[in-house]
Amino acid sequence: MLTVDDVTVRFGDLRAVDGASLEVGDGERVAILGPSGSGKSTLLRAIGGLEKLDAGRILWDGVDLAGVPPHRRRFGFMFQGYALFPHMTVGENVAFGLRMEGRHPNEVRSRVAEVLEWVGLSGFDRRSVDNLSGGEQQRVALARTLAPDPRLVMLDEPLGALDRALRERLIVEMTDLLDRAGTTALYVTHDHDEAAHFAHRIALMRKGRIVQVGKMEELRRNPVDEWVADFLG
Amino acid sequence: MTSRRAVWAAAALPLLFIGYFFLYPLARILWLGISELQVADLLGERRIARVAWFTLWQAAASTGLTLLVAAPLTWAVSRFEFPGRRLAQALVIVPFVLPTVVVGTAFAALGWRDSVGAILAAHVFYNVAVVVRTVGGMWARLDRKVEEAAAMLGASPWRVFRTVTFPILRPAVIAAASIVFLFTFTSFGTVLILGGFRYSTVEVEIYRQAVTLFDLPMAAALSIGQMIAVTALLTLYARRQERTASPLVLAPETSTRRHPEGRTAVAVAVSVVASLVALAIPPSVLVARAAADGGFRRLFVDEPVLGRPIEAVPTSFSFAIVATVIAVVVGICAAYVISRRGSRLSQWFDVVLMLPLGTSAVTIGFGFLIALDWPIDLRATVALVPLAHALVAVPFVVRATVPLMRSIHPSVREAAAMLGASPARVFRYIDLPIVARAALVGAGFAFVVSLGEFGATAFIARPNTVTIPVMIFRLLGRPGLGNFAAAMALATVLGAITAAAIMVMDRFRSTDLGTF
Repeated sequence: MLTVDDVTVRFGDLRAVDGASLEVGDGERVAILGPSGSGKSTLLRAIGGLEKLDAGRILWDGVDLAGVPPHRRRFGFMFQGYALFPHMTVGENVAFGLRMEGRHPNEVRSRVAEVLEWVGLSGFDRRSVDNLSGGEQQRVALARTLAPDPRLVMLDEPLGALDRALRERLIVEMTDLLDRAGTTALYVTHDHDEAAHFAHRIALMRKGRIVQVGKMEELRRNPVDEWVADFLG
Repeated sequence: MTSRRAVWAAAALPLLFIGYFFLYPLARILWLGISELQVADLLGERRIARVAWFTLWQAAASTGLTLLVAAPLTWAVSRFEFPGRRLAQALVIVPFVLPTVVVGTAFAALGWRDSVGAILAAHVFYNVAVVVRTVGGMWARLDRKVEEAAAMLGASPWRVFRTVTFPILRPAVIAAASIVFLFTFTSFGTVLILGGFRYSTVEVEIYRQAVTLFDLPMAAALSIGQMIAVTALLTLYARRQERTASPLVLAPETSTRRHPEGRTAVAVAVSVVASLVALAIPPSVLVARAAADGGFRRLFVDEPVLGRPIEAVPTSFSFAIVATVIAVVVGICAAYVISRRGSRLSQWFDVVLMLPLGTSAVTIGFGFLIALDWPIDLRATVALVPLAHALVAVPFVVRATVPLMRSIHPSVREAAAMLGASPARVFRYIDLPIVARAALVGAGFAFVVSLGEFGATAFIARPNTVTIPVMIFRLLGRPGLGNFAAAMALATVLGAITAAAIMVMDRFRSTDLGTF
């Protein structure tokens, strides 16, 4: 279980994340929804250990992660723009996390094949990542994130750069995939429909604060303030 | 954060290297110059004043002449498309990459020594490439419509050039002139070989005072003066660079180049052929005379003082390999630090690592000579020469690798970290493979720089560490036609190796590194 306890991240005078608290249960999928500049990506990066906390704690199963560097957290992180390794093939990208764990090459090979099959890219492992379409890149990034079987998967606007039709298809595929694996996941987006489709619960974020958490219907029915009501339409 | 610690860990090696082999010797020179010399002595010496004056005016004259000589070729290759244009552009670079000792020997082979004319001609030969590349690069991208607009408004071709074309190109012309001025102002090998005893630049004078006259305080004072002058020049140049960033009327090169017709075609052909033939004369004469005078045979004959000249070749190669390895390791560590943008350490590093490039090789050699007896006397070891070469070469490796390291988006490294890679493994699996090709190019530069290095090596070479350039210089100083022939032959060998190495590197070149 992930516990975000009163976390603050400052950039100079700006409080990008301002006393945010949130809990994510095992196997639960939570979307962090908010307008751009609301601090949702920063919060995600802070959970991954990529931003320093100015206050508060982040815990996994009750253990404080302060001092645990990103590479030892065993969290998966899918970046906006995917951050694929340009000098590696599709297969090498997906295998990277497994190699870092020191798994046996045979095991790596079969796991890569398995994960690529999940995302519908069987036989792509020798392809260069340069020549992939946007949707294919997205799938490679997802496969790379899932391959080491992380205890938490974080997705930062994973469909941001794609066109509408493709996004609608991929959000369904991605949700099904995580559902089958029972993966705990955090999903950052500014798109209501994506959030509603993907998540069990939604955390609404505004100006660095988490203003309300709940199911989409609950939020729509009982908005805590006018801004929430406006934002959700 | 941990990545901070990783950056500091990578910074340690280049810091130690630059600190001990560059900043510390520089401090010793400063101390020696300030503590043991009366300023009155320096100003009182007529010879010093004469040297300073000569340094200035020969640099100014060389710069002006280079601009004039390079103008027709620059115009032809940047404004027109014709068969062999790319080849012409590639050939122009060859003189620029030749070691100064080779250029000096080539002009000596023309029978032109102990004269100002030879010095100026050699400087022009060497620097034409700077103008063709710098000015031509801009000229090739200048949209013809701007000139056509002026013509439609009634300007004659000459007035179009004077009132439109030249003013737009002026920043590039000034940039090229500054670079040529800096190169010729700090010229050492060429002047030492072609100037005889009568003509001496500040660089040559530092060498004479330190090595021939053993007046170390005087040499130190001259070094300090030289450093102040070069720093001032570089500062001026950097200022101008900033001011030239004006929005220009640029177009893709393919749209600006025309096929020349009629009288223009004749002018283009004459410009290209005459320039290339002129540039080909010195090296051709060098090779021809070396062969005709039996120089290549002499390379294997024992000279009473210097031994067999050919033995400098294996010495140079082993030094170049060691220097390249050191420069690549130090340079990649430094590039890793510099490419972490935003941190103050990286900005500061960027400046410090480039300092050896702005410092004359003579000063570096002189610094090694007076400073590296502490804490152990390194001067007695064979390590001294490759270390000096590595110091000169580090900026080349840094410049080759930093752009690629910067091109790695931060999220790519973060993605690797989130997949379980420690900072060291991120460097190993992400940074290193991505910069490998550029590092190879940097290594090639380092190798070529080491093979041709003369300024620093002249100070620190010992009888068992005579490199090819030093051997050439010593052969030129020995009496007898046979030794002169051997010098020409060895210069031919060095020139050929350098040209071959540059051509091999050109194939590996994936990014435009710039030449300077």
